[in-house]
Amino acid sequence: MTDLWTRIAPLLENVERPGRYVDHEWGAIVRRDAGYRVALVYPDLYEIGMANQALQILYGRLLTLPDVAAERVFLPWKDMTEALRAAGLPLFTLETCTPVAECDLVGITLAYELTYSNILETLDLAGIPLRAVDRSEADSLVIGGGPCAFNPEPMAPFFDAVLVGDGEEAVLEIVAVHRAAKARGASREETLSALAALPGVYVPTLYHNDGNKMVATGGAPAQVRKRVLGDLGTFESPVCPVVPFMDVVHDRVAIEVLRGCARGCRFCQAGMVYRPVRERTPDAIVRDTTAALACTGYEEVSLTSLSTADHSCLEEVLRRLTRRLEGTGVGVSLPSLRVDAFSVGIARLLGGGKKTGLTFAPEAGTQRLRDVINKNVTEEDLIETVTKAFDAGWRRVKLYFMIGLPTETDEDITGIGELVGRVLTAARAVTPPAERGGMKVAVSVSTFVPKAHTPFQWEAQIRLEEVRRRQTVLRAAMPRKGVDLSYHDPNVSFLEGVLARGGREVADVIEAAWRAGARFDAWTEEFDHKKWDAALAETGVDGTTIANRERALDETLPWQHISAGVTGAYLKIERERARSATPTPDCTFDGCTGCGVCGAPGVANVLAGVRHG
Amino acid sequence: MAETTFRARVRYGKTGPLRHLSHLEVVHACERSARRAGLPYAVTKGFSPHMRIAFGPALPVGTAGLGEYYDVWLRSYVPSADVLASLVVATPENLAPVAVNYAGEREASLTAALTIARYQVVVKGGVGLTESLTGSLAAIVAEGVFAVDHKGKQKVFELASTLPKEPEVSSVEGATVVNLTTRMGERGSLRPETLVTAALTRIGLEGRIVSVTREELLIEEEGSWRSPM
Repeated sequence: MTDLWTRIAPLLENVERPGRYVDHEWGAIVRRDAGYRVALVYPDLYEIGMANQALQILYGRLLTLPDVAAERVFLPWKDMTEALRAAGLPLFTLETCTPVAECDLVGITLAYELTYSNILETLDLAGIPLRAVDRSEADSLVIGGGPCAFNPEPMAPFFDAVLVGDGEEAVLEIVAVHRAAKARGASREETLSALAALPGVYVPTLYHNDGNKMVATGGAPAQVRKRVLGDLGTFESPVCPVVPFMDVVHDRVAIEVLRGCARGCRFCQAGMVYRPVRERTPDAIVRDTTAALACTGYEEVSLTSLSTADHSCLEEVLRRLTRRLEGTGVGVSLPSLRVDAFSVGIARLLGGGKKTGLTFAPEAGTQRLRDVINKNVTEEDLIETVTKAFDAGWRRVKLYFMIGLPTETDEDITGIGELVGRVLTAARAVTPPAERGGMKVAVSVSTFVPKAHTPFQWEAQIRLEEVRRRQTVLRAAMPRKGVDLSYHDPNVSFLEGVLARGGREVADVIEAAWRAGARFDAWTEEFDHKKWDAALAETGVDGTTIANRERALDETLPWQHISAGVTGAYLKIERERARSATPTPDCTFDGCTGCGVCGAPGVANVLAGVRHG
Repeated sequence: MAETTFRARVRYGKTGPLRHLSHLEVVHACERSARRAGLPYAVTKGFSPHMRIAFGPALPVGTAGLGEYYDVWLRSYVPSADVLASLVVATPENLAPVAVNYAGEREASLTAALTIARYQVVVKGGVGLTESLTGSLAAIVAEGVFAVDHKGKQKVFELASTLPKEPEVSSVEGATVVNLTTRMGERGSLRPETLVTAALTRIGLEGRIVSVTREELLIEEEGSWRSPM
């Protein structure tokens, strides 16, 4: 193991925010003499990656293994990568300053499509050949995982293997298989075959494209089904995560209170691929929260999940926690709220005197379209919620909407403006005249990007010029006073669409864009769509046929060999129901809706109590 | 009724790789140490209750410190040796507390009281440099004023007040060490590396500063200096 610290240290004098590279944080575990070293890579800056809960979970799980070191790696900012390259130094791990290429396993988070160019930058800076086929016996094993693993094809050539689904158990199995393979002197090919035999592990080199269908060879499964941790309670939420020195995003300790969401919003990939719903018990949540605050010293704990307000015992948990934390200056926060009165009550309970702002996501402007997307929120709910919030003293709310949803008409778009108008009127009515100047409704509008494994996976994303036209329609319909309107860049949404639903051919585009200098595409000021347009042109890939084309229901989709557990038949039924604006209930309150995820052994909803819709 | 609190004063260091932390990062890290240590810290009243803690003058990113201070108010009395022991096990090594004492409730705040700072600046270069740097620094001191550009604005330091002692330059194991004592005023404090860089530039050298360390912070009272502990 090479320790690069003495050569890295001098570079820190001349880079921005050197705190990103210094390590020595509280909770970081250093195992210099470990026989097996795993690099856990989040392909963005330290302050973004340190907020990633999966990274902290896997870090903790790997460190339960004796003789295994888990070391964090983040992509340095451009000044530091330049300095490293100029000094002839490779990318290094934080814990021991080991070159990433000296690690046995390099695990990379596939968190978001727009980090793909950063993944290539990471591999290149590490000195690891970009493509799996170019790697030798001496090279690290490169394994991906995370939300984007559900359509791995655009990044498939850059990975030796991709884990689909929950990692808590699978990472340990992967390490065991790899260590055993090393011990018996197995070749890279033999190791990959052994990995392909693990449930949830996809080895791209064992699949080839046969007339649009990815066909398995060498004994690999025809379809890779995602891993599911049957019960979150099997493991505690990480109670001693690494505590950063730097001010990172979400700078608080996170306790995952439940995984999965069965609300069934038809646009939402997370809602489809993280099923079933698994709640932690109130005792476990209170126990882990108390332990985590004691171990980390954080001043805030966040109870995280896709939809925390849905936890059947949330009120009990909050009552117990607020009682324990009284007088300590330590606060509890929730990442997202539902559009209902219950949520405002919860926010009051948590906020104390602080009323910084509440965020709600009605997503669409008319009831018809909300029924199409199965967003079970009525205008009445929204008006009542906002009225309660302003009545309770909040002066700022943020509303999220999307344009470009399937079946959307101009009426739905002007409907967003009208809805915002009624929200403002309702808010004003309960706000004392002297305080009305400080009222603000922030409206954030993104462009809908259809995602794999959702009922909208066959839909066409609206074209760039149509996005701009609909934005104009929206602007005209939006009240001027008291509203802050913001849009997502349509070019970003287009690229996201190409990367989200493309096949293996898109890998060439990603590599070409990276070679042209694309980096940090998720950063607004760094994103340059011209580099991607040129990469598409250079590789002869037509992005519009990926993003803007409606697929036939019988077309083979690039992710068909990956299963999120939810069946294709269910997605088709949900698509039909969308077209007839028929809502589908949440199976954690009502009966089973037949999505198929609970078919596998040990996979079912796990609720800690009775849910109240 | 105001609750009775006890003002514990902690002396700590900021060393090694952690000298790259910003002041705000150090503040957050120390607050988290105090919580991990399980100290019975007092909490401010108001809309946003938080730990009652106050820090001495900020150290810039990259500058190490051997004797930095913060005051943390406790709701109950804990022997200072116990405060120290519990903080030490709850703090990263390079921010380790080295001493704890109680300060009087009526004493001035650390930022107001700590006006004298002793720095050590290490510069690459042996005996030859030591001699020329001595001369160059003396020339600047003789001019009486020193102007610094800070974010487009010019700040002028009266050196008779800013440098209460003559800078000392010596040669140590092939490097040149500058010991500087500065007085921080209401109009800001002089960064020692700025002065040393200016002195180096005068003799046609630059980019030679190896490290900057604040070794000690002192209180100035009726013409004499004392430790805040």
